[in-house]
Amino acid sequence: MTLDWPFWIAGACIGGFVPLFALVSGKLLGISSGYSELCSIAKPAGPERWKLWFALGLPLGGFAASGLAGTHRLETVAEPVRAALGVGDVATLALLVVGGALIGYGARTAGGCTSGHSIVGLALGAKSSLVATLGFMAGGFAATWALVALTGGAA
Amino acid sequence: MKALVFVASGALFGFLLSAARATDYTAIHGMFLLKDLHLFGVIGVAVATAALGLWLVRRAGVRALGGTPISLAHKPFHNAVFAGGIVFGIGWALSGTCPGTALAQLGEGKAYALATVLGIVGGTWLRQRQTSPPKVA
Repeated sequence: MTLDWPFWIAGACIGGFVPLFALVSGKLLGISSGYSELCSIAKPAGPERWKLWFALGLPLGGFAASGLAGTHRLETVAEPVRAALGVGDVATLALLVVGGALIGYGARTAGGCTSGHSIVGLALGAKSSLVATLGFMAGGFAATWALVALTGGAA
Repeated sequence: MKALVFVASGALFGFLLSAARATDYTAIHGMFLLKDLHLFGVIGVAVATAALGLWLVRRAGVRALGGTPISLAHKPFHNAVFAGGIVFGIGWALSGTCPGTALAQLGEGKAYALATVLGIVGGTWLRQRQTSPPKVA
């Protein structure tokens, strides 16, 4: 468990971050394309290089939040995945790697992720972001229910 | 110097994702099972707040610090957006994270998120390779 702020406080802070970040940097928040920058790190820095810096800051925030909550500890096995699906260590690891690959492939195909499409894009009223978010939710619901049906859910 | 501003912004955003419990597999799994609606509330309030804030920014017609114009462009729509979204959603459910929260998880000590991050890098690389084939020298 982390800090666990009430949903409306956490939501207002995440949402409020978007216009403040735009005012400071002139840019719209987006995270998944930071991974593209990493993949093209050998090329000269283009206008998107800031996304790599932003992505590098994220772990620092997680470190601070878990430290403040007193929950920072080293976890090498994803216990919550095991507990939710009743699967072994290898299956747990495979779920993370395969899930990650689908995230990367899907985000680059859809042109963004939960931050760029589902928060910023929806807030701008963009058609592409509404369609992408409907896809995120459809895939997420279908995969979760299929996984639980396959594994029998919590052991 | 500029890089430092972005690292600090990323740190603040990672902190907020963690405080929102968006870095918690159980919260995301519970959201898709409709057992724990906390994250739906977070996303809903975040979209509404961001919409109001961006509307104010647009209305004020201001420039960012340093005089740079603020870009409020929509992401382009094309036929693969929905399919890509579904693929992303499946990955979101399997790993219980998204690109940003996986990195924040690493900072929380959840070393297993390294597997997710490496997966995301691999998937990103593959898609980039498909869409822009390497030039023959």
